[in-house]
Amino acid sequence: MTKARSPRSRSRRRSGGFRPWLGWAVKLFLVALVILAGVAIYLDAVVQEKFSGKRWTIPATVFARPLELFVGQKLDKDDFLTELDALGYRRERAVDGPGVVSVAGNTIEMHTRGFHFYEGIEESQRIRVRFSGDFVASLTRGNNVELPVARLEPLVIGGLYPAHNEDRILIKLEQAPPYLLETLVAVEDREFFDHFGVSPKSIARAAWVNLSAGGVRQGGSTLTQQLVKNFYLTNERSLSRKATEAMMAILLELHYDKREILEAYLNEVFLGQDGRRAIHGFGLASQYFFGRPLVELQVQHVALLVGMVKGPTYYNPRRNPERALERRNLILDMLVEQQVIDSETAAAAKQKPLGVTPRGSLADSSYPAFLDLVKRQLREEYRDEDLTEEGLRIFTSFDPILQAKAEKAMTETLKRLGKAAEGVEGAMLVTNPETGELQAMLGGRQPGFAGFNRALDASRPIGSLIKPAIYLAALEKPSQYTLTSLLEDEPFSVKGADGQVWRPQNYGRNAHGAVYLYQALANSYNLSTARLGLDLGVPHVLKTLERLGASPQWPAYPSMLLGAGGLRLIEVADMYQTLANGGFNTPLRGIRSVVAADGEPLSRYPFKIQQRFDAGAIYLTQYAMQRAMLEGTGRSVYNQLPRSLALAGKTGTTNDSRDSWFAGFSQDLLAVVWLGRDDNGKTSLTGATGALQVWADFMRRADPLPLQMPMPDNVVMAWIDAQTGQGTAENCPGAVQMPYIRGSEPAAGPGCGIQAPAESVMDWVRGWLR
Amino acid sequence: MLSNKRWMVVLVAAALTQGCATVNRGAIPVVDSGAPVSEEVAARQAYRSSGTPVSQQGVQPGSGDAGVMVMVPQQNSAPLQTFPAPDATFSGSVDPAPGASEPWTPPAPAPQAPVQGQPMPSGIPSGGGLSADERLDGPVLALLTTAQQQQGGGDLNGAASSLERAQRIAPREPQVLYRLAEVRLAQGDAVQAEQLARRGLSYAGDRPALQASLWELIAQARERQGNAAGAAQARERARVSL
Repeated sequence: MTKARSPRSRSRRRSGGFRPWLGWAVKLFLVALVILAGVAIYLDAVVQEKFSGKRWTIPATVFARPLELFVGQKLDKDDFLTELDALGYRRERAVDGPGVVSVAGNTIEMHTRGFHFYEGIEESQRIRVRFSGDFVASLTRGNNVELPVARLEPLVIGGLYPAHNEDRILIKLEQAPPYLLETLVAVEDREFFDHFGVSPKSIARAAWVNLSAGGVRQGGSTLTQQLVKNFYLTNERSLSRKATEAMMAILLELHYDKREILEAYLNEVFLGQDGRRAIHGFGLASQYFFGRPLVELQVQHVALLVGMVKGPTYYNPRRNPERALERRNLILDMLVEQQVIDSETAAAAKQKPLGVTPRGSLADSSYPAFLDLVKRQLREEYRDEDLTEEGLRIFTSFDPILQAKAEKAMTETLKRLGKAAEGVEGAMLVTNPETGELQAMLGGRQPGFAGFNRALDASRPIGSLIKPAIYLAALEKPSQYTLTSLLEDEPFSVKGADGQVWRPQNYGRNAHGAVYLYQALANSYNLSTARLGLDLGVPHVLKTLERLGASPQWPAYPSMLLGAGGLRLIEVADMYQTLANGGFNTPLRGIRSVVAADGEPLSRYPFKIQQRFDAGAIYLTQYAMQRAMLEGTGRSVYNQLPRSLALAGKTGTTNDSRDSWFAGFSQDLLAVVWLGRDDNGKTSLTGATGALQVWADFMRRADPLPLQMPMPDNVVMAWIDAQTGQGTAENCPGAVQMPYIRGSEPAAGPGCGIQAPAESVMDWVRGWLR
Repeated sequence: MLSNKRWMVVLVAAALTQGCATVNRGAIPVVDSGAPVSEEVAARQAYRSSGTPVSQQGVQPGSGDAGVMVMVPQQNSAPLQTFPAPDATFSGSVDPAPGASEPWTPPAPAPQAPVQGQPMPSGIPSGGGLSADERLDGPVLALLTTAQQQQGGGDLNGAASSLERAQRIAPREPQVLYRLAEVRLAQGDAVQAEQLARRGLSYAGDRPALQASLWELIAQARERQGNAAGAAQARERARVSL
């Protein structure tokens, strides 16, 4: 339009012939030129300053644990494939490059992508994994040479963003997949390689299109102009901004070559919104939509992403799949038109689905509770700017497979509990007892929901979860207590230091008389436990709790012996960790290491242990906790799990079932579950009917290794008479084996002179066979 | 082969738990019986006959050994009377409370054997400088070799990181804990070096050569902590183990 009008105005001026005005005009023109030059010099400085320095701030990226592969590893094949799907591995018949996997029965062949870890680089390589049952039976390279160990690249589980932020994965031009540059140029700016920043030809064409369509249909902006607009300017639509944009585009082209500008464009362009996180650049968009690195994209993916540049929200393939598909296929047609691809390729590509990662899959999940922990731990050592701007790489112990199982266990069990679980919240922690690493965390019953993190912040009375600390304190004194010491389970009352009379009661309100020490723990009897705790001394019990890893600063009231004091889930986990790990305390860790954007190792969070208890006393405590599972308050666990799976654990229930707890462990997994109401209201769930059900469901899914603590040298197995607790001989009726700290076992019995009544033998046989 | 391994574990575990039949609580006669009368005597005899070096029996509070109880001193508690296994040592404590001393107790070999065990065929050449240990799996051996190279190149953090990777793969392999303790010692963390070596001992029940190495490492770690007496005790243990 402007072009069409200008000749006429020029001719009008000429015909007017006002000579004095001409002088003024020249002067004005010169002044304008000077101003323009000033503006140009200023803009030039702006262009160069921002483009030559660090162009973008990159939020820290948080990674899950990498999946290790080695012969003998316990790994379910389906879990393995789930992880590969989340990592965006493409299933093909033949493996022809990184990011491709081919499945044939129990053998999986794949080409890993390679990754830069804290301690070095894992090469991209072709490997073959053969499964047998739940184990990796063989691991070889592509050429059939045995491979001792390999690890996959870790899944990204999140980033550390400020409230509103752009996120991106920086890529180099060489990392662009085939067709990306051609498609981008074909769709957005056909003259890109020929123009000088602005393209009069494009503007003219856009003007023509818009004019004939009677509205704004096409922008004449070059890629350079688009980059300038996004990179330097606001979204305002005005003529002066347009002029500035054009000028800056020309200046940019003066200083930098086309490839550099194109690379910047690839990283800058906005391609979607994920909550408060803006998805910028093709590198991140590829991960966000397809769950795989940019370089592995195929032409249909490229067409989709390039098509989305025009309207990232309008063409969002998750929200508007039909629109996105239509746009993608249109782009594919354009590529044929421009002879970028042939029509057969386009036709084949059009047959492919959009290929975006499905909702709710591992690749499309968020883990707010665990990330919350990571953030808190990092904030102790790094400034906020370091975390949100420097592109740090955070390696954690988070296990997405276990997390998915924990989430399933929580939601499915609460669904199964039905009415009883209405309005009930939950939290859960999973750790590896042998390394102290946190593997999964639920901050509430609803997976992926960011909010109050009950695993870290809710401090609730722990009820009977405290009991192992009391029995451990007793078993540390083998001259006074053994597993078969008799405890009196009878009502009593005591005046506490605070002057109040305390009258503990059993859960079933009845007394049990004289019971063996291990039975009192296994059945969670309150009367005998409270008396034992008072005999040991409340401060001594609290000290033991502290040595286990929880330091709650509770007052030394007798009611603390039955768990009136509150602990956070993470403290309970640390306490049980010490019980599970032979008396060695390990501070729980979620972060393994931090690496700078350029690969330089920054910090490491090493494995640390401290022996706090005699291994023998722990062994006996674990034994009693195993009996709790086999025949005590935790026995319903074996409705879901095979009895051969040795587990140790403890239920916890507080008054009126306000809190339902379970904490327990196998050899390789420790989990703590809490259920209750946020307002501390009553529920109908005990530790056994509530939290234990979630725990058992999780263990069933996770399929752990049975608990097997090596027997310490100061522990002996002794034959005792099940009826009397006196020493006996192996071949005597009623003889059972029981572990003791050496020297504390009952003296060997007189042999089997007196035959026990047949009935009790049968009892014993029945008990043994259970 | 692997499911075999697992079955062994299950069997041992089952034998352990089932060996002790459920006690019929109702059948327990209500008698006031504490620990058997003979218990303490028997215990003392066991202690005396344990062959524990004489010097250890007289460990006094404040003998300078940073024992396990240092962080959490026990107050107002009765003297701890655990009974050391024949080949356990006492680590005295800087804690004034006599009850704070804690015996270290290496485990019996039997239950551990099935967990770590059968050597796996692997194409890995045995790592240069690694002590000839018969029990290492392919992945563990490979990672120990990597760690060795990193340590040799002065990258102690990298070595520790590789060793922790090995530990995650084989948490009960004492050789890994031994190497990790070594690296910690080289990094100047003598306290952790000692703790890791102790943890290693609890899994090295049937490997006397490795036990001796672990005790020797504990001795070095104690020397670094200025605990000459504790170091001498550990050296003694190292000799006995061999």
